[in-house]
Amino acid sequence: MAVAAPHAVLDHIHPEPKSFVAKYIFSIDHKIIGVQYLIVGLLFFIISGLLAELIRVQLLVPSGAIMTPDKYNQVYSVHGSGMVWLVIIPLVTGGFGNFVMPLMIGARDVAFPWLNLASFWMFPPAGMLLFGSFLVGAPDAGWTEYPPISLQGPPGTNLWCIAIFLIGISSTLTGINFLVTILKMRAPGMTFTRMPLFVWAQLATAGLSMVATTALAGALLALFLERVFGVPFYDPARGGSPLLWQHMFWFYSHPAVYIMILPAFGIISEVLPTFSRKPIFGYKMIAFSSIAIALLGFMVWAHHMFTSGMAPWLQLPFMIITMVIAVPTGVKIFGWMATLWGGSIRFTAACLFAIGFICVFTFGGVTGFFLASVPVDLHEHGSYFVVAHIHYVLFGGSVFGIFSGIYYWWPKITGRMMNERWGQWHFWMTFVSFNVTFLPMHWLGLMGMPRRVAVYDPQFQFWNVVASLASFVLAGSTLIFLYNMWWSLRHGRKAGANPWGARTLEWMISSPPPYYNYKKIPAVLATPYDFGNPLPYIGMEHAPGAHATPQPVASHKMPAKRRA
Amino acid sequence: MARSVKPKSNLGPNFWPVTALLGVLSLVNAWTIVRVPSMTFLPQAGAPATDVDFIFRFLGISGGAIFIYVTGYLVYFGIAFRHRENQPIDTIGVQVHDNPRLELWWTILPTLLVIVLGYFSVDVWWKLQNQQGDVLTVESIGYQFGFQYRYPKIKDPVPTLYLPVGTPVTLHTSVAANGVSHGFWMPEMRIKADMVPGLINTIRFTPTVIGDYRVICTEYCGTGHGAMKGEMHVVSQQEFGKWFAAAQAGKDYTPPLAGAKPGSDGQHPAPGNGNDASGTAVALDSGKTDAGQVLFGQKCSTCHGVGPYEQKIVGPGLGKLFNDAAHPKLVNGKDVSPANIAMLLKNGYQGEAGVMPSAQVNAISNVDIANLTAYLVSLSKKS
Repeated sequence: MAVAAPHAVLDHIHPEPKSFVAKYIFSIDHKIIGVQYLIVGLLFFIISGLLAELIRVQLLVPSGAIMTPDKYNQVYSVHGSGMVWLVIIPLVTGGFGNFVMPLMIGARDVAFPWLNLASFWMFPPAGMLLFGSFLVGAPDAGWTEYPPISLQGPPGTNLWCIAIFLIGISSTLTGINFLVTILKMRAPGMTFTRMPLFVWAQLATAGLSMVATTALAGALLALFLERVFGVPFYDPARGGSPLLWQHMFWFYSHPAVYIMILPAFGIISEVLPTFSRKPIFGYKMIAFSSIAIALLGFMVWAHHMFTSGMAPWLQLPFMIITMVIAVPTGVKIFGWMATLWGGSIRFTAACLFAIGFICVFTFGGVTGFFLASVPVDLHEHGSYFVVAHIHYVLFGGSVFGIFSGIYYWWPKITGRMMNERWGQWHFWMTFVSFNVTFLPMHWLGLMGMPRRVAVYDPQFQFWNVVASLASFVLAGSTLIFLYNMWWSLRHGRKAGANPWGARTLEWMISSPPPYYNYKKIPAVLATPYDFGNPLPYIGMEHAPGAHATPQPVASHKMPAKRRA
Repeated sequence: MARSVKPKSNLGPNFWPVTALLGVLSLVNAWTIVRVPSMTFLPQAGAPATDVDFIFRFLGISGGAIFIYVTGYLVYFGIAFRHRENQPIDTIGVQVHDNPRLELWWTILPTLLVIVLGYFSVDVWWKLQNQQGDVLTVESIGYQFGFQYRYPKIKDPVPTLYLPVGTPVTLHTSVAANGVSHGFWMPEMRIKADMVPGLINTIRFTPTVIGDYRVICTEYCGTGHGAMKGEMHVVSQQEFGKWFAAAQAGKDYTPPLAGAKPGSDGQHPAPGNGNDASGTAVALDSGKTDAGQVLFGQKCSTCHGVGPYEQKIVGPGLGKLFNDAAHPKLVNGKDVSPANIAMLLKNGYQGEAGVMPSAQVNAISNVDIANLTAYLVSLSKKS
């Protein structure tokens, strides 16, 4: 075998740690760290989700149902901060990136396992600081915390600064770690164009996290120094500039939008080929569009600030570049649709969420285009239209992607299948209630309802009540999902190595994978998505059942009408 | 395991009929956006509004078509290419990797769309930059939690924005000393600017429709942010002149055309029959037709005419409310009666047919409702 020589070096395996603490708490195993991210991230998802329900209860009546405006402002600020920094980013990078990416490239771990350990252990304290800030008065100026109002915010705003700073450092370090891992640790023969698309997405994301997050860290440090020590960075009365924060914040937070969505794109690009039994359509276009989106994503941050006060001519380049991002995004969407075309599609929960993702994300992309146009943005900025848009791309986009990824990789992570029937219920309840919750918010914005309000005019009540009622169903559908996970761990059918008949490397080894992942590092001969061909991996021990034929899953026999 | 699959030469069963159907749906969407008046959601009251709504509609039509095609094909592919129960478990799809020509086209088409939409956006942006202003210059000052306005040659800031109809306005936004950021949104004009301490942002617009409008704070500014709203009254040139002269002299003058909040400033006739803004009962008998007619001109004629139902402006003509066989019910499905008309005026309506603002939004009192109802009843008797 041509690749025999590297194997002699690569085959050395470190022994597995023995103690419980070294194995499960302060583990350096990327898989355990990935699961830790998933568990903590889902916990924070539940907390932030409950805060969202408090928001919706409050808005059942125009005068505010349950909270004073002060409390309400804290609740939505922590909801937004939590969902962005403690749920979506850690789940899509720390969670899926950690567990899946090294397996996909045929590595035994990430490049810097101890750094990985450090990254993870900044995450739970960040969450405790953010949610704990309610004890001293949580931050109340929204997840964007614009000064000067945030300079006057409750003491918890300081904790917010520390929390986001911590999670930012964690994100930066993970970015460096993943970048080096993907560039240096791919199995022999896995050229760039043979990498699974999820790895491409993680590569683009890692670059974004590494560069963009530093701007946020600087902005947060300055805010903290100003709040605690009175260093006048942002206070205009003392020579500071409120716009400085906005520029630094959005220089991070616009790329952060792509940090949140690119890994979800990657998940969709894995799920669709597997369940339509087809190669991804236009592999190179989808891979390169991730990089294009990441690069363009750095040049559009000021489109969040069209109304803030900038030289009018400066609005034009930001508008045009923002609009241009629609092209690579459209290329991806068309590629996914063409992947479904001519397939032999199996509608598992993972597949349904992936298809639902395309539908809902397209809608969010279209409304994003509305907001990119300066004249429309000068009208709609700061209204509920923006709230609707952000939830279509972050819930309908990122969170649908996370759901799809969990259904897809759950058998690999736990070795057990989830209940397909409940998965289907979860999808349809989520899909319908999501749209009923957030679609009316577009109309509210167009009718003149501003965002971040604890009280509103009576003519907005009808659609607010509709949105609130649907959001309760949305919460209920998430309960089904949580129950499904718990049920699967106790009663789920044993998954075997490759229940979906997928062809990427992680499905070639047993579920859950052994400590060392690959006893022998495989050599890669081709792209992973050719369902008609033999598996393109040599020099490895395939786990029993790793052949690329799907096992029958419950869903295939599920619909009652077929038996009738 | 390598199975040879017979490559499908065509695009799939019913591909072209489905494509045509989605085209029809896109056209229906376009027609709805162009023809249904409520698709603008708010009345247009000023110069940039028409242009902004133009882009909005264009985006709605083209973006709507994209969404309809994507979703339609997802559903269609899902049905046409599903794995069927009677097929072997290891059935695979068509092993096609790419199609450079197709990919080229679906890169070119969005690029063209971006160019067209970009062109329209830049065009309207250019109009916004060159919007006539400066005939009247006003400074708006945001504070926690309200707005004040400084007019040239008026000594003290005033709490309400009065603007003469048809006059190009330049509005500078600023913030009270040691203040925080606010937003200054005039939804009916389709324009806003943030009020940022240390900065002066400028917007230009021309109010074209006499009426009462809202100014809304759109940037979080503290506890009272949700309630931070202001009133803007677009009045006739003459009334503006009177108001301006009075304000210069330090006197209070509320132009009658601007419907000041009932009961709050004594400008409206004192309710003689126990009606006030907070009461729920409307004493309809006391309604005065001529007062209602004046009020109709101020409050209703932006959207409604006094012709038959078909003569729509935004909403239908109201001249034949009681004797129109084709439209026997009110928009909310209730029978046409003075009491139901009054309730509709009081509560407003929102639904498929559009939006009818409530009394609170229209700033009309129960006495006003009684007068308007009397006037509407009288219209039907005439015709």
